[in-house]
Amino acid sequence: MTELDPVIHAQARLRVVASLSALNVGDKIAFPRLQELLAMTAGNLSVHLRKLEDAGYVEISKTHRGRTPATLVGLSRRGRLAFEEYTEAIHALLDPAPSKEQP
Amino acid sequence: MTGSPDSTLFRKVVCVDLDDDSPPTDAAAALRLIQDQRSATARRLDPDARLLYWPWGVAWLVGFGLFFLRFPPGDQALAHLPGWLPLTVLFVLLAAAGATQAVVSVRAYGQVTGDSARRGQWYGYAWALGSVSVYAGLGRISEHLPHDLAALLWSATAVGLTGALHMAGGAVWLDQDLFRLGVWISVINLIGAIAGPGWHPLVVAVAGGGGMLVAGALARRRQRQRQQP
Repeated sequence: MTELDPVIHAQARLRVVASLSALNVGDKIAFPRLQELLAMTAGNLSVHLRKLEDAGYVEISKTHRGRTPATLVGLSRRGRLAFEEYTEAIHALLDPAPSKEQP
Repeated sequence: MTGSPDSTLFRKVVCVDLDDDSPPTDAAAALRLIQDQRSATARRLDPDARLLYWPWGVAWLVGFGLFFLRFPPGDQALAHLPGWLPLTVLFVLLAAAGATQAVVSVRAYGQVTGDSARRGQWYGYAWALGSVSVYAGLGRISEHLPHDLAALLWSATAVGLTGALHMAGGAVWLDQDLFRLGVWISVINLIGAIAGPGWHPLVVAVAGGGGMLVAGALARRRQRQRQQP
């Protein structure tokens, strides 16, 4: 059986990654908007984002919109792949390969 | 979005213990969490398709409808309206539709940047520059035409450009509703142009405006299916 990715296999980070996976490939979302979508505190979200960034799953870039600094968050290619693999593993756990059940 | 039956579901999702670093209780819980979170995010980032389609449909239905009633084929107006009214109403409604679209889009995508934003921006430039370049040429010709032919030239060109840009938008986002609407608009524009001056606004009002209302309803239905957890 496949091991579940420990970085994603935590409720808070799974929610972060699932949310980011709903963005189109190549898109990033502003930190406050992500925070609002997830209803997390800024500190809590930062902690989880750092863990995801350390694993190479999330890309964080700092930029300026006019004069105000903005932090943008997006799923990296590696992160999207890891999320897809995790989702597949979960599906496999719930619905084991039918071939095994055949006599 | 608040007040919809989905909002209770969303609230349930966000009330998960947020400081919890522990794994989901089991695989079923993990899958539910993924699906709920993805659909909640999609609902928040995807504006209601009706708000993007219907204001334009109403503008065409009412604006071109009034134009037909005031300037039908033949010399006799079907409704005794001041001559300036139909175009004024049309442009006011079109401006209102554009403003609605801008507000709805900024609310939904305003905090998202990247490839999608760039596509939207370039698509917007295509509308703006395309319109200006086409109408500049028309303006120089139409002053030499009789009123009914000038009206046909303006509306058939504007509707044709709209149809082509809708098809292009469908290609950019691989959005079949948008693409089909572009095909429909182009076809009815052709039919209206063949029918001739006077009839063109009737075709555009009923088939074009009506088509946009139908397209909005279809796009909304598809959107709801996509956002099901």
